[in-house]
Amino acid sequence: MSLRLRSVSLALLFPALVLGWWEWESRQGAGHAYAFAPLEQVARSFVEMLLDGRLLLHAGASLQRALTALLIGGSIGIATGIAMGLWRPFDRTAGPIVTTMRQVPILGWLPLVALWFGNGDGAKLLLVSLSAFYPTVLNTQKGMQAVEGKLAEVGRLYGFTRLQSLRLIAWPSALPLIFTGISQALAFAWIATIGVELLFSATAGLGTEMMAAQVAARTDVVLVCVACVGVMGFALNQLFALLRARLLRWQPAPGN
Amino acid sequence: MTDPRHLREPAGTTGPSRTGAVRIAGLSKRYAMSGKSMTVLDDINLSIRPGEFVSIVGPSGCGKSTLLRLIVGLDTDYDGEIRLDDTRVAGTGLERGLVFQDHRLFPWMTVAQNVEVALLNQKLPKERRERLIAEHLALVGLSDFGEAYPHQLSGGMAQRAAIARALVNEPRVLALDEPLGALDALTRVKVQAELQRIWMEAGTTMIMVTHDVDEALFLGDRVVVMSPRPGRIARVVDVDLPHPRDRASPLLHRLKDEILGELTREPREEDGTLVSFPARSSHSRSPS
Repeated sequence: MSLRLRSVSLALLFPALVLGWWEWESRQGAGHAYAFAPLEQVARSFVEMLLDGRLLLHAGASLQRALTALLIGGSIGIATGIAMGLWRPFDRTAGPIVTTMRQVPILGWLPLVALWFGNGDGAKLLLVSLSAFYPTVLNTQKGMQAVEGKLAEVGRLYGFTRLQSLRLIAWPSALPLIFTGISQALAFAWIATIGVELLFSATAGLGTEMMAAQVAARTDVVLVCVACVGVMGFALNQLFALLRARLLRWQPAPGN
Repeated sequence: MTDPRHLREPAGTTGPSRTGAVRIAGLSKRYAMSGKSMTVLDDINLSIRPGEFVSIVGPSGCGKSTLLRLIVGLDTDYDGEIRLDDTRVAGTGLERGLVFQDHRLFPWMTVAQNVEVALLNQKLPKERRERLIAEHLALVGLSDFGEAYPHQLSGGMAQRAAIARALVNEPRVLALDEPLGALDALTRVKVQAELQRIWMEAGTTMIMVTHDVDEALFLGDRVVVMSPRPGRIARVVDVDLPHPRDRASPLLHRLKDEILGELTREPREEDGTLVSFPARSSHSRSPS
């Protein structure tokens, strides 16, 4: 058996076992059938939601929310991180605040944000942006401070101005860590999006749909949404890894 | 600053108009280490002719790398004088280049971009810039690797790229700080021959620090032997052989024995001024 085939079949072994157990549970009486919706019914709901456009609507709304927040929180995070990395006094002032605020789980801000901003789209965007902000600000700050003195000397030899050193040495050497920050931010933003949709009612979104399905006792629909959240998160992660490999192709391959 | 771009005559010609003369007079360098002042270089005097290749050998701690850093201006805190063509050295400048032991190429730039970045602060027309880059990649034999990233190069190729970067500004003097020290023995011999050819073609004054006496003799018109603590010039050996050289030359072998003798000589008792450091006593060996 080829190595690739073997690793794929190993990856599928566990899900297959879980699905088998699931199907068995769903056949143990009416109560079980409610908690463990039969696979066939889940599949039917999936097809139905796909055909009537509901799945696309909700998935699209969640994706848009997550990516918008990533753009807002991520760019503010990178800008703040650069400022902290370059300017010591700002690092000393802002650093402890960021670290302290980070200890509060995103959903811990929910009561205050609801009080101040209501529960509209703005409030949701604010919370998700905050979740994208932390990993970018911390990684960018670390990256900007990681400039190797040896490479800075090369800049001095060729008479680089401060701006040239920043653009040609500090920024590119911080990029790998900035990308690490963005990929963490992407994962956090996706999780936070589903979280705020579950807790704040929204017009559309996978979390909202999940909540509605739970109220309507449609476990099958909840399951379709859960699977959709998982698969989309995985896909986002993989896509970003590809983008990163393309943009950072100057880096030696890991383990090289 | 004077215009670093100068007309260069073909290599090998000598005359009063040639630039690249380095004059070091009464140079001393002290470091403050844990409150105590330590003398790293003590009264260094050395005159280097335009286009000359000078090798510097010496044990660790003799300040030979410090000397190069002072010449290129990465360190400006010294007593005495360093002059390049009658201009006192103060800070870095494009007329003085340096090749480090580690290639120090920017990993996020291709080889061609790494060479180009050295020209960043030279106002040159685009065609001239591109021609300079192409010429210098050709000079070090990397014409086909302009688009490669540093991690894709072998150690010898990366070091040659670093030499191209250092030479693209056509500096009047190039300092080389153990440029081949990180290479394996076989690559090293090859790049030594390359370096000799590059020096002969470019005609730049070169000052190279090395641990390798064979290398110093193979390349140098003169070999400066330094002694440590404090760093002083112990001897200057003339290598009176035309380039390109034959490694098997009996003169090189005789000079090698002489220099090795100088480097392994125990401090003489009658010198008196040589105070041995208590922590570094080597009294287990018998005094000669």
